[in-house]
Amino acid sequence: MTPSDGIAQLRRAARRAGRRARAAAVFRRIALLLPLPLGYSVVVLTAVKALRLDAASQRIWWLLGAVPVLTLLVGVARVLVARRPSWQGSIALDQFHGFHDRVTSALTFSQVPDAERTPLMQAAIEDGVALAGRLDPGRAVPIAFPRELGVTLVLVLGLGALSQLEVRRIVPVPAPPSFEPMVMSPDDIDLFRDVAKELQAKNDDPNALVAVRRFNQLIEDIAEHRLDRHEVFQRMGDLERDLKGNLELDRDARDEGLKGLARELEKSGLSKPTANALDEKRLADAEKALRELAEKLKKKEGRPSAAELDKLRQALEKASRSNEERSKNIDQRRRELEEERKSLLKKKADKPDGGATPDLDKKLADNERRLEHLDREKDRAGRSQKQMSELDKQLAQAAQDLMRDAGQSAQDLEQGAQDINRMAKQEASEEQKQELLKKLQEMRELMRQQGKGGKDQRERMQRFGQRARGQSSAGQGQPGEGQGEGQQGGKKNGPLRLGSGPGSVPIEIPVPVSQSGQGQGQSGGDKPGGSDTGPSQNYGNGHDSNLTGNATDLKGQTKDVTAAGADTGQGAAASQVIYGAAERGFVGRGYKQVFTDYQTVAERALNQDEIPSGYRFYVRRYFQLIRPRE
Amino acid sequence: MTEAEQAREEVAEFQKRIGALREEIGRVIVGNREVVDGVLSCMLGSSHALLEGVPGLGKTMLVRTLAGVLGLEFSRIQFTPDLMPADIIGTVVLDEGAGGARSLEFRRGPVFANIVLADEVNRATPKTQSALLEAMQEHRVTVGRSTHTIGEPYFVLATQNPLEMEGTYPLPEAQLDRFFFKLSVPFPSRDELHAIIDRTTTTQHAEVKRVVTREQVLQMQALVRRVPVARHVQDYAIRVLLATHPTGEEAPDLVKRFVRTGASPRGAQAMLLGAKVRALFDGRFAASIDDVKATALAALRHRVLLSFEGEAEGIAPDRVIEEIIKKLPGSKE
Repeated sequence: MTPSDGIAQLRRAARRAGRRARAAAVFRRIALLLPLPLGYSVVVLTAVKALRLDAASQRIWWLLGAVPVLTLLVGVARVLVARRPSWQGSIALDQFHGFHDRVTSALTFSQVPDAERTPLMQAAIEDGVALAGRLDPGRAVPIAFPRELGVTLVLVLGLGALSQLEVRRIVPVPAPPSFEPMVMSPDDIDLFRDVAKELQAKNDDPNALVAVRRFNQLIEDIAEHRLDRHEVFQRMGDLERDLKGNLELDRDARDEGLKGLARELEKSGLSKPTANALDEKRLADAEKALRELAEKLKKKEGRPSAAELDKLRQALEKASRSNEERSKNIDQRRRELEEERKSLLKKKADKPDGGATPDLDKKLADNERRLEHLDREKDRAGRSQKQMSELDKQLAQAAQDLMRDAGQSAQDLEQGAQDINRMAKQEASEEQKQELLKKLQEMRELMRQQGKGGKDQRERMQRFGQRARGQSSAGQGQPGEGQGEGQQGGKKNGPLRLGSGPGSVPIEIPVPVSQSGQGQGQSGGDKPGGSDTGPSQNYGNGHDSNLTGNATDLKGQTKDVTAAGADTGQGAAASQVIYGAAERGFVGRGYKQVFTDYQTVAERALNQDEIPSGYRFYVRRYFQLIRPRE
Repeated sequence: MTEAEQAREEVAEFQKRIGALREEIGRVIVGNREVVDGVLSCMLGSSHALLEGVPGLGKTMLVRTLAGVLGLEFSRIQFTPDLMPADIIGTVVLDEGAGGARSLEFRRGPVFANIVLADEVNRATPKTQSALLEAMQEHRVTVGRSTHTIGEPYFVLATQNPLEMEGTYPLPEAQLDRFFFKLSVPFPSRDELHAIIDRTTTTQHAEVKRVVTREQVLQMQALVRRVPVARHVQDYAIRVLLATHPTGEEAPDLVKRFVRTGASPRGAQAMLLGAKVRALFDGRFAASIDDVKATALAALRHRVLLSFEGEAEGIAPDRVIEEIIKKLPGSKE
């Protein structure tokens, strides 16, 4: 081996030893400083678990953990970049092998230029080179596991165990939001179930049937306590909206369209019956008249004259265009109003003082109002045109065909009759929807009233319902219950013989006696035996034990007679039935008949506006409560 | 033969001579290997040594033996309080010649020898001490207007008795500094005492013979000077020296607390020269840090001055230097 090779070998060994020394130093530094961030993490994690810190509170502590981490990084970096002795590696080799710096001296002297190198230096170099083969950097600079790694290991294990530790936190579970179902008395539920059944039976329009089914489902959900008050009202509102839709608007528009048709068809004798029926909204008659006209046209004998046909043709033609003409007129009028508006605005702008004059403003407001009115009219005309479009088409076709082929015209008229039939059905369906709407409104009002009464009200209604079905011994006339105005007492006073019934058997009907001398029950509250508290805001539900009042104390020359009704075989008198209902409940065929009579009168009065609007609900409610039960 | 090979031969020859010297000295001096090597180092370093030890340890015998094996002129000066400078350096006397002519003639004192043993040097007055120390430093003596050179090699071995401090004149620090090494002569061990008794109380009488000539000694001294020192070794010696100063960057706490003044640059010279000699003793061609460490104690112990606190605490300079050697890392270059 040449000296230069030897020196190179020495250098390689020295560099390797130097790198190992640096690595060992870095390793030692890491082992020394790593416990800092680990220890900090252990402390913070312990605090987090023990004190149950939330994410926001934890954040600052974890951010502060950057300090020990930085300390570690800086410490390691310092070791990495620290200036080291040039011959650290070779010195380590010399020390390990016991070479007394022979290797280092050789490397040092090898850097001395040849001219300056002394013989002893050269000898030292050669001496060092001779040792090259014996150098062992691996053993000379061992990278040992520092003792501090034990601490690191313990901390890592501790951190792992701590992170797995679950400190259970008892979090009080918030009480679920209270769900207070909407409660309706069973009696009312039965009422509305009956209503739904009735509507379902009457309806054949699919749309209306769908609405009835939704209503029925709503009743069932209320019965099952699945809905709270808010949901019930929401669903009622949705159903109402869907039912109403554009019901009224479409109906008005259709009526207007039919009136327009009637006006034109009236001008021909042949179509006059149809016109009259349309004008009076008797759609079934209008359909029939149109079909008769079609038959007449088909016949070869007894056909109308040419003049009559021509008149008919003109009437049909004008009738088919009536809706369109109407829309055009509205548009024309609208355009005129727009022009007027523009002119008024221009006048206003041209005024030197800013254009504000009362007269001009009044004209502008008036113009605005008329424009709005025209918009509404146009909307109606549009709806009408839409609904009458098929009928208009048929009539127009019929008018065209009339002069060429009366038979064909007849077919067109028959199709027109079918359109009228469709409209009639639609009208019927609308009526059914109106009825369902009315029931929904009744239900809403009922729920509003029930909401005011609270739990006591519900319990009373429940008891009432039982008595109404004759299910409880409610015939004793318990105080504070029953129907009618709130009364005091309510005690039975003994039977009053009213005469003989069938077979001359006296009928004993319990008549409660009122404690007052008026013969009228006094108004009061709901409480049994409650004191006279004055007029009540609600309809009473107490029982007047003294329906007839005290007997009149007449001081006169009279003599008592006993009157008894003759049994005509027509059944019990209405009063008997009513008295009986107070004991037995609202059941039985007799009661049903009596109820129907009274209800008919009441409905008539309601429809004829004989009852003030504020009382209508109460009247209806009264009859609902006393309705016959199965 | 290349120069390197020649150098190797020189070193080998050196080693051989040293071996012969050791062997020959060992025939008379029992043990004290370190003291002998120290003395040889001082001699080969062209400098002087201070031996300290209790009486009867063979200090004088060692010097005599050394002079015998080296074949060099030897003189012994017993320092006493009444010793005058002229007693050691010489004086001018009036000499009468054959014809009766009288002339002034300088009569050389005992300092004019190759090897001078200055026994109990601390017993003489500072004036007398300084006369010796001047000769040690200058290798010449000036008397009147004439200067007389002392021949080479010139080696002074001074001794001190650590027990008798009363009535003595401790050498001042500046003068202590001129001694290359201060060697402590230990009390012999039991076995060594047996050998000493055997040799000195019987008819045995060892005679030493000259094994190295004067020229050879000079050659050896020259070779020592030629031994190269790597930069890191020299740096280490300097760092050790600086560490003896309380203000030194790497001075340990012991130095900062108990040392008044650290060693002078002569300490580093002594360490490095001593390291070179040791390298040659081992047959190596360059001095090492270990060599410096080995010579640090002898080279610095008399150069480190303790503070009052250090003296009160009874801190020995040796302990301070050992602390420095222990704490100082091997290399920073």
